[in-house]
Amino acid sequence: MNAIEISRICKTFKGKRGARVEAVKDLSLVIKQGEIFGFLGPNGAGKSTTIKLLMGLVRPTGGSASIMGHDVGSHLSRKHVGYLPENPAFYDYLSAEEYLIFIGKTFGMKEPALKEKAEKVLRLLDLWEARKRRMREYSKGMVQRLGLAQVLIHDPDVYILDEPMSGLDPIGRALVKGIILDLKSQGKCVFFSTHITSDVETVCDRVGIVLKGVLQSVERVESIMTEGITGYHVRIKDKGADEDREEYAAKDEISEVVGRAQAAGSEITLIEPKRKNLEEFFLDIVKRKDAR
Amino acid sequence: MLQVFSVTLRGVFRDRVFQGILIIAVVFLLIPSISSLSMRQVTELSITLSLSLISFILLLLAVFLGGTSLWKDIERRYTFSVMGLPVTRASYVLGKFAGISCFVLLTSVVLGMAATAVIRYSSGIYPAMRPIVWSNIYLALLFDALKYILLVAFAFLFSTISTSFFLPVFGAISVFLVGSATQQVYDFIHTQAGQALPWYIKKIAPALYYVLPNFEAFDFKVNAIYGIALSVPGVFYTTGYFLIYLFLVLAFTSSIFSRRELQ
Ligand SMILES: Nc1ncnc2c1ncn2[C@@H]1O[C@H](COP(=O)(O)OP(=O)(O)O)[C@@H](O)[C@H]1O
Ligand SMILES: [Mg+2]
Repeated sequence: MNAIEISRICKTFKGKRGARVEAVKDLSLVIKQGEIFGFLGPNGAGKSTTIKLLMGLVRPTGGSASIMGHDVGSHLSRKHVGYLPENPAFYDYLSAEEYLIFIGKTFGMKEPALKEKAEKVLRLLDLWEARKRRMREYSKGMVQRLGLAQVLIHDPDVYILDEPMSGLDPIGRALVKGIILDLKSQGKCVFFSTHITSDVETVCDRVGIVLKGVLQSVERVESIMTEGITGYHVRIKDKGADEDREEYAAKDEISEVVGRAQAAGSEITLIEPKRKNLEEFFLDIVKRKDAR
Repeated sequence: MLQVFSVTLRGVFRDRVFQGILIIAVVFLLIPSISSLSMRQVTELSITLSLSLISFILLLLAVFLGGTSLWKDIERRYTFSVMGLPVTRASYVLGKFAGISCFVLLTSVVLGMAATAVIRYSSGIYPAMRPIVWSNIYLALLFDALKYILLVAFAFLFSTISTSFFLPVFGAISVFLVGSATQQVYDFIHTQAGQALPWYIKKIAPALYYVLPNFEAFDFKVNAIYGIALSVPGVFYTTGYFLIYLFLVLAFTSSIFSRRELQ
């Protein structure tokens, strides 16, 4: 069974005075269990709308989707999902601890195990000190961290996170990346949206790039990284020289450069690939799309 | 649904609207002294005033808590986080409704106890001419609470089709005003003077009488005040009416909310 299956889904919003916004157009995507998938696109690309379709918050105007084999129209599809909304808001008259207990119970967790798990996630997300305070008094970053806590509390198989790193400081962002990598090691599926390429680079198996409601490309992050190599920086220590010198070799020149150095009896101390990174890859796609 | 219910109930207790409205209950302290001004009918007056005051407080709670509860969840985008849970839309709305209704009942129990104390004290000032029939008083109170629970259901119904609190709050107030008058209008049409009305009013009014709630059926105040025996069929009729009406309004409410897009 696939974790998430999206099949030719469309969503058109009807605005005032007959204005129509095609937020998502004919989008298909399959995400396997245990996979970390980055959903990358600029603001207004349709990422949140796609996620809301998956969560059954809005109904598709065409196509269908399922999570862990359940159609997203049914509440059963949400049984195995932890969902973090974009700029989340939670019952602000509750404290973080009370809220986590509420979520845990909704997922059928029982008291002693639930309390333990709540303490664990509260500590993990650095909310332990603030756990008894009403969320009304929380900062934006704290609410975001609680959002992650309420996703982790019931240990789902699928995580759907809408911009999980937004509103967090660098420490918080690193924490979230660590959590996602940890989920990966547990074989969980994470589907998260972002507009920041470096978030995708470090944690994702695959990335889907969405522009103006259309899924432009789905790639393995690894292959973008290897195929994106354009050349190498080679550090060479010549015989008798005090310092290394650096030489740049284009992709097809590398063996020639290395061979020449070895023939001269020099020592190669470092070869560093120079790659086109994900950001450039992303910007390329955006540019090509705009040119059309 | 149980979780939504308890979270809603907790929300109400921590709500400033409720805390504000409850201050009105302080007026209870004035009832004995006002009642004693009437010299003769001290007890009767204290019962009347107590029941009216409770009714007024429940009305405010029904309109403002009922009218803003669902709207607030949507407005503050709590629905995104809650509807991401494996609960159906129907159990979410019904859980919230149950929370508010339970709160209305709890409030009437607490205020009923206050009323008991006030009435006792007043009847001590000037002994009543008739014995006080407590069961009638509590029954009147109960049906008053049921009336406002039905009103809460209407406020929820309006909340599911509206994006602001305007329709739920003012819609509920209108339903209350109209619902309290339907019986009178209906009766008037069947009097001599009523027969002189244009034919279309005579046609429409009975239709509205059956569509809109008849809140007058819930009024047992007279029985409570004067200790008049209750008609048992009347009580059963009202109970049945309440259950059927409530079921229909809630069925509408949950089916509309299940279709609603949360954007
Ligand atoms: N409720 C709505 N009504 C009308 N248009 C909407 C609505 N929600 C989103 N949109 C439009 O759909 C497009 C995609 O929005 P969204 O999915 O939020 O983008 P992203 O999350 O990628 O930034 C945008 O053009 C946005 O204006
Ligand atoms: Mg978004």
